[in-house]
Amino acid sequence: MGLPLFSASEDPGPSFVRFAEVSGLLPAAPQVRDAPHATTVVALRYAEGVVMVGDRQATAGYIASRDVRKIEAADHNTGIAISGSAARGMEFIRLAQLSFEHYQKMTDADLTLEGKANYLSPIIQRNNLTSPLVVVPLLAGWDTTRHEGRIFEYDGAGGCYERHDFAAIGSGTPFAESALRLGFRTDLTREDALDLAALAIYEAGDNDPSTGGPDFVRGIFPMMVVLDEAGFTELPTEEVRGRYEAINRRRTEGQGVAGGSLR
Amino acid sequence: MSNYFYVSPEQLIKDRAEFAQKGIARGRSIVAAIYDVGIVLVAENQSASLNKISEIYDRIVFAGVGKYNEFDRLREAGIRWADSTGFTYSREDVDVRALANYYAQHLGDMFTEGPKPLEVEIIVAQLGGSVRPTKLYRVAYEGTIADEPHFAVVGGDADSIRDRLAAVEQEVHDLPTTLRNAVAALSGPERTIEVSDLEVAILEDRGTRRTFVRLTDAQTAELLGV
Repeated sequence: MGLPLFSASEDPGPSFVRFAEVSGLLPAAPQVRDAPHATTVVALRYAEGVVMVGDRQATAGYIASRDVRKIEAADHNTGIAISGSAARGMEFIRLAQLSFEHYQKMTDADLTLEGKANYLSPIIQRNNLTSPLVVVPLLAGWDTTRHEGRIFEYDGAGGCYERHDFAAIGSGTPFAESALRLGFRTDLTREDALDLAALAIYEAGDNDPSTGGPDFVRGIFPMMVVLDEAGFTELPTEEVRGRYEAINRRRTEGQGVAGGSLR
Repeated sequence: MSNYFYVSPEQLIKDRAEFAQKGIARGRSIVAAIYDVGIVLVAENQSASLNKISEIYDRIVFAGVGKYNEFDRLREAGIRWADSTGFTYSREDVDVRALANYYAQHLGDMFTEGPKPLEVEIIVAQLGGSVRPTKLYRVAYEGTIADEPHFAVVGGDADSIRDRLAAVEQEVHDLPTTLRNAVAALSGPERTIEVSDLEVAILEDRGTRRTFVRLTDAQTAELLGV
């Protein structure tokens, strides 16, 4: 054992704690890199269900992909959206889908929506507290016993919270959530909810560099999903295009200014 | 002082086989048959909740007769095996032949080395698609595996049911006909089985990933025309 000398990049400086970590006296804290939350996904409740809308862009310093699917059906009645590490997020969706199906096959019974939401907590906790590749998902679904749409959001440590109005995840959250906060009403119809959620993602795409807006050049649009009595339904691209063309037209007429209304 | 008596291997196997056969013959039978666009499984089962027929994977079904706790453990093990294989590789890599082999190995091991042979007989079947063929396997208590081209019968009085079915199932039919033939073979000439005492499930392509469907009593009655 020689003198405790370090190369310039590993030098702990005057911090004893850092020195203790480097020399093995203390377990090193995981290196939390600035994990990219290259996403915006929103979920919004309305009278007969929940809508989910998510952008399609994956960012890794540059635009890595323009047509990522960040919302997937976890099963017939449940949608899962992911933000954070794409690799861990995809694995998380696969694990959730398989877990729900596995439970159903083993017991010949469906998990309740709340059961699904709680089941995901320790998975998120295990991933996020042991890895810098953080995943923050969003769960929304049709509750077949209560006959209503419900939304569950998570914090980075796996804490699960039910939201009775709306929720947003990813880097564009401040912009999307602002639109949702201003436009939310308790008596939204399915059409109102789809319009507001689409606008929220438009706002996020307009302001957040890591969130993709509607791509009219390539014909790639945010994913729009409805969860209601009929289960998980993804809107066809043409319908989504129509909604974003309408928003774009209004914004163009207003010369880029929303003009004091949610349009 | 304890006495050890010599038992010949022939006798040992015979005793074990007799023991297992007795247990299996006590249970009621299951018929699995391939029809024109799917596979139908019919079990005589008075319980509406303790199933004999279960989904294993997207295109794979399991059915077991004999001791419920024993074939139910095999069913669970099959689901675990299929789900972990699909998770590790891809959903298309889950194949019924591999599963049937695993079951055969386990049953064979339990027969020769276990404290007692398992008193079960099982059917595993796979609905063919773009990747894999339609397959029907019967695995017996001692690990014998049989590849059945058209239909399989396990449990109870399997031999006479098989004979009755062979007489009418000389070619592949549609679902209502196949189901009627299966139920007629199960019940025999002397009695009729109430629809409520039947457990029926099918594997059929409906445009969804999972092909397993349990038929309700009403659906079964409609197909049987009763």
